[in-house]
Amino acid sequence: MRAKASSLLNGLTLVGIGIVLLDFFFTGRVDQYLHPQFRPFTLVAGIIFCVIGLVYAAAKPSARCCVEGECVHENATNPFRSVIAILVLFAPLVVGVALSKDSYDQQAVLNRGFVQDITKLPVRANAVGSGTQASQAIPSEALGAEKDAAVSEPLPQDTPPASANNDSANPAVPDSGDGSAQYLPKAPDGNVALEVTDLLYAEQEEGLRKIVGGKTIEVIGQYLPGTDTKRFKLVRMFIVCCAADARPVALPVEPAGQVNASEMGWIRVTGKATFTQSGDRTQVVMKADKVESVDPPAEAMLY
Amino acid sequence: MSWFTFSWQNFLYSFLALAFEGLPFVLVGSLVSGAIAAFVPSRIITGLLPKNGFLATLVSGLLGLCFPVCECGIVPVVRRLINKGLPVSCGVTFMLASPIVNPIVAFSTFAAFRSQAPWFNMGIRLGFGYLMAVLAGLSVGHLSPKEILREGAVKITSRKRLAFQIGPLPDATSNDLESSFAQKLVAAIRMTCDDFIDTAIYFMIGAAVAATFNTAVDQQIILPLALDPTLSTIAMMAIAMVLTLCSTSDAFIAATFVSFPLFARMAFMVFGPMFDLKLFFLYSVLFKKRFVVCLGIGLFIAIGIISSRFLILLYASQGL
Repeated sequence: MRAKASSLLNGLTLVGIGIVLLDFFFTGRVDQYLHPQFRPFTLVAGIIFCVIGLVYAAAKPSARCCVEGECVHENATNPFRSVIAILVLFAPLVVGVALSKDSYDQQAVLNRGFVQDITKLPVRANAVGSGTQASQAIPSEALGAEKDAAVSEPLPQDTPPASANNDSANPAVPDSGDGSAQYLPKAPDGNVALEVTDLLYAEQEEGLRKIVGGKTIEVIGQYLPGTDTKRFKLVRMFIVCCAADARPVALPVEPAGQVNASEMGWIRVTGKATFTQSGDRTQVVMKADKVESVDPPAEAMLY
Repeated sequence: MSWFTFSWQNFLYSFLALAFEGLPFVLVGSLVSGAIAAFVPSRIITGLLPKNGFLATLVSGLLGLCFPVCECGIVPVVRRLINKGLPVSCGVTFMLASPIVNPIVAFSTFAAFRSQAPWFNMGIRLGFGYLMAVLAGLSVGHLSPKEILREGAVKITSRKRLAFQIGPLPDATSNDLESSFAQKLVAAIRMTCDDFIDTAIYFMIGAAVAATFNTAVDQQIILPLALDPTLSTIAMMAIAMVLTLCSTSDAFIAATFVSFPLFARMAFMVFGPMFDLKLFFLYSVLFKKRFVVCLGIGLFIAIGIISSRFLILLYASQGL
């Protein structure tokens, strides 16, 4: 009886873990936690947990878990162990899923320290100087990379007409002349849509600074005010594997007026990127004409 | 600002991320363990290794090239292999080497350092990891398994079964199972589940500790340590211990600590997969607490000295 009860509890614990994983996968919440490469493991593991949990619960429990005389789970039929498993394995997951807000608050961001130098970011650090980037809004063509068969052509809807090569919001600003600006991603209103990391990357690349300089740019991120009332930080979290290794990437922004947004709330900043020389380092500051609250993007993290 | 600021929101977010990332890997390790238990006869395990204990330990450090199990899943596999007759010294070597000396980690290290002498860093990491694992295995070679293994974790019936002795357990002859495939499959699943429960309990405790550190502790307090060779190495190993990263991805994190020298980051990438908070609890499934603590201290000292005294010269000779 004790063995059967223990088997049932253990099996249901595993099924429960499987259901939590599957729920996270199918509701899309896993997107806020894991790098895309790790997300399929959640689905596969969830299915396996459910299957083996059901088999475990249904199979006739043996007094001891033995093969070829090996009995390594002497306490496998102990209901106390099963209760511990529920409390340590299943309960924290359920409580976490119920209470987690799927994001960090300001304190965690402050504790981790900001990345304001792109060379301190994984992958990005390696990309600088090697001509390659990961998870960027700007395609390699815009940086002057030669096309090859592996690089797909811009989709028609993403390719602006030739007349749009110049800044639509500021037609006086000419194109850089090499046609590379046509590859810059555009927001629906015609402004250049970039990520925080693109502008920090531009600190290292003179060619990119020429392309984005003077153009009206839109950047989405989380609002983080500081002690300086004239500036705030636009923050995105950059992850390598999961949210546990997330690093806040911060773009300094100087708004034109008062900002009405909650701390760590999602905002869209529209303005121009300015680059200043500080010692041997070029630093970017976004001069914002407009700051507005927006819904969180589908992919809150940068990779 | 205080150096410690706990928040449930941040803790839960980090904890769940670690759990969702790590539990599938713990499951994979348990599946391998269950499959080995039900389908692989002891003679095959013991037949893989040379009869000479020293050579067997050397070969054990390379088994990860064939069985690339990460550190989250390695404990149930090693426990199963030791039950199948693998010498404890070889088990320790395999356990420490496999999370580093495997093709996935080699590739990720190369990718993470692809603009910072990738071949050199990858070679150093695999070679250094292999060396430390073999040294650890050889050091426990003269100890009795009774002194190392936790009571009940592995069935050892003979006091004379030394760490270097190769062969199946003396009484491993009875068959509790019929040989039909279906019954073996059910047995494999049951053992997978039991292995998973045993291991994952410790993994979750380690993940909770790591999540607390990741979110509540002000990371800026460690940055001044980067300027001193010894302190930077110690700091990076301490960070590796509390971050409890997966060895398949920790190179990407190590590459980000650009304020720390390369030899200190190498210590991070070798020590972390061998011993961190999560592994302390996982190893406790199989080994006695005293042995686990001694193993951790020994690895910390050995990796620290080699990194800050010898690797620093090696990197300097390469102009890195």
